Amino acid sequence: MSERRRIEKVLVANRGEIAVRVMRTCREMGIRTVAVYSDADRGSLHVRLADEAVHIGPSPARESYLAADKVLSAAVRTGADAIHPGYGFLSERADFNRACREAGITFVGPLPESQVVMGVKTSARRRVSAAGVPVVPGSEEPLADEKEARAFADRIGYPVMLKAAAGGGGKGMKRCERGEDLTALWQTAKRESLSAFGDDRLYIEKALERPRHVEVQVFADETGNTVHLGERECSIQRRHQKIVEESPSAIVDPDLREAMGQVAVNAARAVNYLGAGTVELLVDARRNFYFLEMNTRLQVEHPVTEMVTGLDLVRMQIEVAEGRTILRQDQVTRRGHAIEARVYAEDPARGFLPAPGRITYLRVPGGPGIRDDSGVYAGWVVPQHYDPMISKVVAWAPTRLEAIERLRRGLAEYHLHGIATNTRYLRAILHHPAFRSGDYDTGFCAAHAQELLPKPDPSLEEVAVLAAAVTQFRRDQGRAQERAARGGTAEGVGWGWARPGGARGWGGGEP
Amino acid sequence: MTGYLVLLDSGKREVPVEVQALGPHLYQVTLGGRTRTVDAFQHDSGSVSLLVDGASYAVLVDDRGRETRMQVGDSVYPLEVLDERRLRTRRPARKFTVDGRQAIRAPLPGRVLRVLRRLGDAVQEGEGLVVLEAMDMENELRSPKDGKVVELLVEDGQSVEGGARLAAVE
Repeated sequence: MSERRRIEKVLVANRGEIAVRVMRTCREMGIRTVAVYSDADRGSLHVRLADEAVHIGPSPARESYLAADKVLSAAVRTGADAIHPGYGFLSERADFNRACREAGITFVGPLPESQVVMGVKTSARRRVSAAGVPVVPGSEEPLADEKEARAFADRIGYPVMLKAAAGGGGKGMKRCERGEDLTALWQTAKRESLSAFGDDRLYIEKALERPRHVEVQVFADETGNTVHLGERECSIQRRHQKIVEESPSAIVDPDLREAMGQVAVNAARAVNYLGAGTVELLVDARRNFYFLEMNTRLQVEHPVTEMVTGLDLVRMQIEVAEGRTILRQDQVTRRGHAIEARVYAEDPARGFLPAPGRITYLRVPGGPGIRDDSGVYAGWVVPQHYDPMISKVVAWAPTRLEAIERLRRGLAEYHLHGIATNTRYLRAILHHPAFRSGDYDTGFCAAHAQELLPKPDPSLEEVAVLAAAVTQFRRDQGRAQERAARGGTAEGVGWGWARPGGARGWGGGEP
Repeated sequence: MTGYLVLLDSGKREVPVEVQALGPHLYQVTLGGRTRTVDAFQHDSGSVSLLVDGASYAVLVDDRGRETRMQVGDSVYPLEVLDERRLRTRRPARKFTVDGRQAIRAPLPGRVLRVLRRLGDAVQEGEGLVVLEAMDMENELRSPKDGKVVELLVEDGQSVEGGARLAAVE
């Protein structure tokens, strides 16, 4: 490794838990960190943790965390030699990636060209398909209009999926059961796609029955060494958003893992991939798997892979960015089982309404095999402007059932007051027989929606009432004692003297 | 001896409780015609340890102003504790009703993404009126009743505060 490639200061172009996560590894590596923050995030945990912090604008993301020029100029001004984009925001924007390189700053991620190809789903499908990677049957190109879409859907047969060509994360994605529904869904998908990605091109794929969403973590260095680090099962989703992820997947055996891993490596090689990437696959009921998309960045659920392989993926990303080499495929080991649950500031009892606001109390889980990747602290006001995920709780154990019980135990120790969270909903998922059996698909949350809403246990109500009454009694007693200490009469008389230090102790005199 | 009234299920059920101090964290509590000794140790502002008949309960106390959310295990009980003074000044509970004009308010601050209905439109209970974007998520606010849109106070793209009146159906 040449000396000039050494990274000494990283600007983390993100917020919340992932900014904290990246900075933690930087600190361990002796790398200085620069935070960027919006108006709403002055008090954010990532600003507290960084060595330097730059204000980049108003609270809405498009005026701060998505403003590529502001982020880049913050890096130039602070002399950062690299930018870590985290996930979301600018992480998959090839133009930002390119601008960093032109400014002489290392972008911790793949080359812009890889992101260009993978950023448009139709071009990604074409490219990996040419490399022998199986794709779900679908249209080669975005479809010009509804008429063309209808003709194509009739040819491959319903049900079909309408998908945003520029898409990802489930936005602008619609399942269409029959021809009669196509007109309405086509319009909705187009509109959602335009508002989410500024691009309303759609394409069509055949819809799979009871699909599972399994993804493979890949890593590549400059020498062309490309490895896979095993799969993550991500079929527990609500409105196309993953909420529980685990590794290994209950349906993946060593042979299937090897086959999936090889396909993922081929997909990565097809775009000369560099650094950390994730190849998302759909697996049907007969365990056939198909390429879905490639995320050209670190993934939210990367800790699951870290717990099972013992690797630090952020450290590996930085080392690859420095031009160093990574481990060989035969050096990758996997041990035990890991599960992650995403803790959201939202209220499952009110239709999962986001719940921004002040965290008045926070105690987080600990003990054997538990990891809490958090972006919050007690007293912090969760802003209304960003994604409501506040933490990821991850459990590791030798076996799947032990890991499930460990995560349930950890989530029960997650005590957050002031705003609603989904921790009890997550516990209900982990307790559900269908989840525990391992036989679940992406329809799990919708199919069991009612069973997953926690209902209070009537036998414990009496304890709650006892506790409430005693707490109120103690509070009333405390107030009565305070009044007695003040002489029990009019406020003001002698009150200045009763205060420790006294008003004069602060050397103020009268204003 | 101090008497309290604990309101459960948004005030639909009322439970009288009497508390008397026996020692530093020992109390005699009468509830539902039964008197027992409760050892209550307050760890901090958000949690209290209860020993009742030998069983240990870690109870979480989430004080949200008037309402307190008590959590025991996986069960959460939103409740309100009234002392004698607050009992006297308590206004009679408003009955839940969808009679007359019903306002649709923003449950949290955000941006109006789309207004789905026009002034004067007939709507049915459960039909979407306004799509509000908050915390990167879209939330559809629905009509609480069958009727007509008689007020429409926002337009696409407008930012609104939490609690803001957006529309009304009558």
